[in-house]
Amino acid sequence: MPLTGLMTEALLLGLSSGPVCLASCTPVLVPVLAAEQKSPRGTGALLAQFLGGRLAGYLAFACLAWLLGLSLQLQPRGHALVYGLADLGLAIFLAAYALAMRTRPAAACGQPCPAARARLFAQRYRSFASVILGFVSGLTLCPPFVAAGVRAAESGGLGHSLLFFLWFFFGTSIWFAPSVGLGMLRRFAAVGVVARLTLFLLAGYYAYLALIVLGRVVLHG
Amino acid sequence: MFSRTMMQPGCAAKLAAAATLVFMVALFFQMMRTLQTYRWRRYFFVALGFLFPVGFIWQLFALRGSMSIPVERMLSGDTPFCFLAIPMMILPAAIARTVIFPGSILPTASNPHAIAAMVALWFAATLVLGKGWCSYGCFFGGIEEGFAAIPKKPRIRRIDPRWRWMPWAVLAAIVLLSAATLEPVYCMWLCPFKAVTEYPAVRSFETAVQMGIFITLFLGLVVALPLLTKKRTQCSFLCPFGAFQSIFNKTGAFDIRIDQSQCKPCLLCEKACPTLSITPEAVRAGKPLLSCMKCGACVDACVRDAAVWHIKGTDVGASSERARLMQLYSAWAFAVMFGGSIIAATLEKLFGLMV
Amino acid sequence: MKKLRSILGNSGAVLTLALAALTPFLLYGWFQTAIGAAGLHIDPTYSGGQVSHVIERASYRIVVNRPVPRRSPLQRIGPFVQVAWTPAASLPAHLSDDLDLDGDGTPDVRVAIDTHNLVVDITPLTARYRPMHSQGVTSFSALIARVNDSLVVRIPLD
Repeated sequence: MPLTGLMTEALLLGLSSGPVCLASCTPVLVPVLAAEQKSPRGTGALLAQFLGGRLAGYLAFACLAWLLGLSLQLQPRGHALVYGLADLGLAIFLAAYALAMRTRPAAACGQPCPAARARLFAQRYRSFASVILGFVSGLTLCPPFVAAGVRAAESGGLGHSLLFFLWFFFGTSIWFAPSVGLGMLRRFAAVGVVARLTLFLLAGYYAYLALIVLGRVVLHG
Repeated sequence: MFSRTMMQPGCAAKLAAAATLVFMVALFFQMMRTLQTYRWRRYFFVALGFLFPVGFIWQLFALRGSMSIPVERMLSGDTPFCFLAIPMMILPAAIARTVIFPGSILPTASNPHAIAAMVALWFAATLVLGKGWCSYGCFFGGIEEGFAAIPKKPRIRRIDPRWRWMPWAVLAAIVLLSAATLEPVYCMWLCPFKAVTEYPAVRSFETAVQMGIFITLFLGLVVALPLLTKKRTQCSFLCPFGAFQSIFNKTGAFDIRIDQSQCKPCLLCEKACPTLSITPEAVRAGKPLLSCMKCGACVDACVRDAAVWHIKGTDVGASSERARLMQLYSAWAFAVMFGGSIIAATLEKLFGLMV
Repeated sequence: MKKLRSILGNSGAVLTLALAALTPFLLYGWFQTAIGAAGLHIDPTYSGGQVSHVIERASYRIVVNRPVPRRSPLQRIGPFVQVAWTPAASLPAHLSDDLDLDGDGTPDVRVAIDTHNLVVDITPLTARYRPMHSQGVTSFSALIARVNDSLVVRIPLD
């Protein structure tokens, strides 16, 4: 298939699948962007980090599947295992991120006390959190991702597959652009407070989901 | 819905309608005579809060002998729609025209409480009351208001004001998760009023956890904390519908203001407010926070007539009694027609036992 | 400006009063009609989806709905296809059917139902469907239930 035709097909598939990707990512993305309370430009940078992490998640799984010869359309047990682990990861990283947001910046006293080290770690984690959260969100194997993965695998050759996947990803990412507007809410301090509380609530929800899904896999297979 | 009670034949129905009418007229008369709103409104609201679950549970037992929702009822679209689910429905309805609730769009013989009916009622009430819905319309708020009224003094006086943001966080979480999971997340996991209405039958670990959460939240936020704090703690610290309805405080014609020329900040209004909507900063700004439910507690508590009812666009303090009357007529008209019909329907069932 | 704001404010107050009075007589009915005409539908997860085709039998009909896929990775209810036997009163105590669910002329599943005890066994004849043995409700996407005058079965998809 000519390259332009492949890219067009991938882009259109991405555009049509965008709402599903957006709906599944917004529970994580919106509170993260709102909690940081950056300008629209800063919010755009955070969004780019999140999307980059999400793409890395997709590609990591796709490469792993390619290397191991696995079908992307997993059996229910494998599906549930990936979902459960992704939910657990989201719960842990969301809670850690919400806690890191409450941490005061490390004091510049130069003393390597445990509290200062913890604060420094929290600040460093916070700067990478959107990438990590995007990566874990990308592991959830949403139906459009699976369909795109199958189609990419059929396009012949690793290079073509990656190109197809990249253009599919661009198509879905267009739907995320309006979330940059959350930066306009930064003048309301309450938005940050509400967003941080939301992160804790969501962490609890994902933790419970992980418990149920992984529990079922362990108990029932 | 509104005239059904008055038109039904039978002694019990007539007696119930008459009793309700006398009750509502007497309360309104007292509001006019004493120039106080909150205390008399509270009698109506507590009656509504306790009689609605009684009537609802009665109906459930009459129909199927149980409070649990059978799956068959969900599949046939007979689950009655509750206004608490409205915020969760908006995004999926706007994007995909799909309603993520196992009910029916239009009323049927087996389900008069259909989605269109309840949403229409909510919309009309919001135009009239704004967040006053939480003081005159919500058939759950009266339960905790009743428990909050029991003790003479609060045992817990200091409450961290940051908890006031929790309903907004719950609202954000359930709206986002409902759009992502395509199910009404609040109804499934967080609604404390499932404990006094309908709930999925407890047949698995998951449904047992759900029921545990509902009962814990009900006993904690609706019973225990109101008894300890004399505040409407479920409304103040959990209810996402209340947070959602706060937005419509911007659209209503009436609000409460604090006349700075009269106010010597004694903060009696802050102590009286059942939803922590008045803070020292709000008093300095001259108006309660967006979470104000327009119950009138602060106005009645203020000894200097600084906290007043106000028609937006007019001067604060000028014609405050006119503002109060206009707001009261609007709110009470709605209360009689909606809450009154629920009270009458339950009284009819109770009187039917005696007659 | 101040006078204009005052006039608008008082007009809003009067309008609110009028709306309160009109709610049960006009507004409620209008709003309900408008919402009913908005083109909304109950989510297929709950409604079972739209009817695809009807299979006629001697004393009953089998209503086959369109498959309801999983539309979001966070959706907990799995994909299924809903089939209903109606009227339930004229169903035999035990029935067995080979059903063509996708309308391609080839049977896709073999269904065996104990209609009195509400037990169903599904044997897939094509790869798309999952086997199922259910008494009553196993999950929202795998169940047998008596709904009004129909026997409803939800067959999980792979």
